[in-house]
Amino acid sequence: MDLSLETRQEDGYTIIEVGGEIDVYTAPKLRDKITELVGNGDYNLVIDMEKVDFLDSTGLGVLVGGLKKVRAHDGSMRLICNQERLLKIFRITGLAKVFAIHGSQADALAER
Amino acid sequence: MLSGGARTTTGISVTIVRDPALVRTVRLVAAAVARRGSRDEEFVEEVRLAVGEACALLVGADASLAGVADPVEVSMRLEDRLRVVVRSGGTVPAEDEPTSDIDGIEPWALLRGLISDFSVQRDVDGTALSMSWPLR
Repeated sequence: MDLSLETRQEDGYTIIEVGGEIDVYTAPKLRDKITELVGNGDYNLVIDMEKVDFLDSTGLGVLVGGLKKVRAHDGSMRLICNQERLLKIFRITGLAKVFAIHGSQADALAER
Repeated sequence: MLSGGARTTTGISVTIVRDPALVRTVRLVAAAVARRGSRDEEFVEEVRLAVGEACALLVGADASLAGVADPVEVSMRLEDRLRVVVRSGGTVPAEDEPTSDIDGIEPWALLRGLISDFSVQRDVDGTALSMSWPLR
């Protein structure tokens, strides 16, 4: 399965709904999308990973890179993820403490 | 199904060119082999992730591997344990580049966190990542 990316604006945030597999092959597409959004002045991002089937360290690297980009503009990046197999990857790598990870879009957007 | 009774050895080798698009194919094969050894889907997912991760490292988005033409070989054997070796020419750096996206994160953190039996051998022929799991 390839990577799908859909973006929309809501409540002052840019939500990127990601689907499929984020790996060494597809991660550059996500990186390019984040770079494009930040370049357009969208500094508050929500990455919805509910439909992500697979995530490897390349994908993690893109997320960390994105976090750095938005923070450079005093922005934020929140993740939506409630799949245990993905959460495990964030825990193993210590990134669960780096990212704000929410269980739903409502939770992610509710936090101010 | 190999659980219980007489256990036969399954050995599969896959060789791919250094193309990131093919890593997914290796993951699918790894998951299929893991499923022959266990019905535990958590185990299968762990093997899929680890083998894909090792393969991705050697396929290399890494600049140090640019120009390395050797293919990446993945051999999987299902014996008393599931044993996997991912091997290729070129040397993968043991430390992350400071300018990398994953600045500050140990590049092997995921593999070492996933697998208790994991080792890296580097020699003149290249790099081999070996890993094994007890069958659940």
